[in-house]
Amino acid sequence: MAKVVLASALSRWLPESAGKPSEDVALVVPGARLDEVLSGVFERFPNLRGYVLDEHGAVRHHVAVFVDGTAIADKRNPTQMLSDRSEVYIMQALSGG
Amino acid sequence: MSNTLLVSTRKGLFVLERAHGGWDVARTAFLGDNVALASIDPRDGNWYAVLDLGHFGNKLQRSSDQGRTWTECAVPAYAEGDQVITGDGKPPVPATLRLIWSLEAGGVDQPGRLWAGTIPGGLFRSDDHAASWQLVRSLWDKDERKQWFGGGFDQPGIHSICVEPGDARMIRIAISTAGVWGSDDDGATWQQCAQGMRAAYMPPERAHDPNVQDVHRLVQCRDQPNIFWAQHHNGVFLCTGPDGWREITNVSPSVFGFAVAVHPRDGNAAWFVPAIKDERRIPVDGQVVVARTRDGGKTFDVLRNGLPQKNAYDLVLRHALAIDASGDRLAFGSSTGGMWISENQGDRWAMLEARLPPVYAVTFA
Repeated sequence: MAKVVLASALSRWLPESAGKPSEDVALVVPGARLDEVLSGVFERFPNLRGYVLDEHGAVRHHVAVFVDGTAIADKRNPTQMLSDRSEVYIMQALSGG
Repeated sequence: MSNTLLVSTRKGLFVLERAHGGWDVARTAFLGDNVALASIDPRDGNWYAVLDLGHFGNKLQRSSDQGRTWTECAVPAYAEGDQVITGDGKPPVPATLRLIWSLEAGGVDQPGRLWAGTIPGGLFRSDDHAASWQLVRSLWDKDERKQWFGGGFDQPGIHSICVEPGDARMIRIAISTAGVWGSDDDGATWQQCAQGMRAAYMPPERAHDPNVQDVHRLVQCRDQPNIFWAQHHNGVFLCTGPDGWREITNVSPSVFGFAVAVHPRDGNAAWFVPAIKDERRIPVDGQVVVARTRDGGKTFDVLRNGLPQKNAYDLVLRHALAIDASGDRLAFGSSTGGMWISENQGDRWAMLEARLPPVYAVTFA
C-alpha cells in the first residue's frame, strides 16, 4: 500500500473524472513493490502508462519518481520494496522542461 | 480554396481562418504544449495533432470537430529487441519512439489506414484510425537500415510520406538520412529510390550512394504523380520518371533549405524557401524570400513582395510550407514565429498579425 501523488503536469492528461487538471492528484494504491504500485495506477488510468514509462517499461528519461523523498535509483527496473506508509511522487524532471 | 490553416508550434496548435478577406487566429488547442505536426485525413475530415511532450513523450490526439475537442489515440511503439543501428559510428541502442515526424492518410479504398514515420526510422501503419499501430518490418528489417543515420537528430527519421492519390499501394517516403524509399505493393516490399541524388557532405566515393542522401523534404504532384520534388541537404532535386533524380542548381538565392511545395495540378511548379547553407541556416542577406519555378526548374522567380527584406532571420522548417488543393494559396511559418500567406501563388504575401511561437508545421485543412 502506498500513497501516490501525480504532479499537476501529469494529472492534466488524466480523464476529467480524476480531479481538477491543474492540481496534484493523490491516490492510495495497493502493492508491496514500486512496480506493483505503478501497475495499480495504470490499471486505474490506462493512458498514464505511456506518460510515465517508455514502451520498454523504463521510467521515462525526463520523469522523476521519488519514494519517501528519494529519487529511485534504477529507472529501468523500478522494483524497490515499499512500506505501508510509503509516499510515491511522480513528477516531471526539471531536465525535460 | 481552403479557408483554414493548422499551424503547429512549440507552444500549441493555432487554427487560422480566413474571414473578411484576411486571416486570423480563430482558436487554439494544447496551448503551451509542443505540437510537432498536424495532419488532416481528407477521407473523414479528422484532424490529428502530434504532441512532443518534453517529459512524457510523444502523444497523438484526434479531433472530429475541427479542433474544438480532442481524443487521445495510440502512438507507435517499438518492441523489445528492436535496435537503432546507424551508419555513422554511434553504438547501437534500444529503439524507442522519439518523434512521430510524419503522418499521412492512406487511400480512399483503405478506411482507417494511416502511415506514421518516426524517429528513429521506423514506418508504422494503422488500419483503425490510430487505435493501434504496427511497425512495417519489411522496411525496418532491411540490411540497408543499419547504414542510415540522423540528420539534425541523433537518429534517422522518416519525415515525408507520399501516398499516390490514384493508387494507394504506391508509397514513397523520405528519410533523413537514408534517401527515398518506395513500395509499389502497399508496403510489402521496399526499394531505394534516390538514384541520381548527390551528397556533398560525404567522401567522394560515397557521394552518389542513394542510402546516404539527406533529403529534407519530399513532395509529390497530386495530378502528375510521377513528378516528385526534393529539398535536399545540399540542393534541390527533381524526379519525373524512371530515370531517377536530376539536380537543379540554379535556385536563387540559394539551393539550401528545408521546405518544398509542389502545385497539385502542375508538377513543373514548385516553391522553396532558401537559406544560407547548413552551417548557418539563416536567410541570405537577412531577407526572407520564396523561390518559385513554373518550368520544372529551368528558371526561378525570387518572390519577396510582402516578405521582410531587412534584418530578417526567419528559418522555415521542412513541414512549415504548405499549398492548398487549389494551388493558389500558400502559407509558411518560421522558426521565429513569423507567418505569411499568399492568395496568388506567391506573387504577394500577407503577414499574419501575430507573434507566434516557433512554427514547426503548416497544414491546410
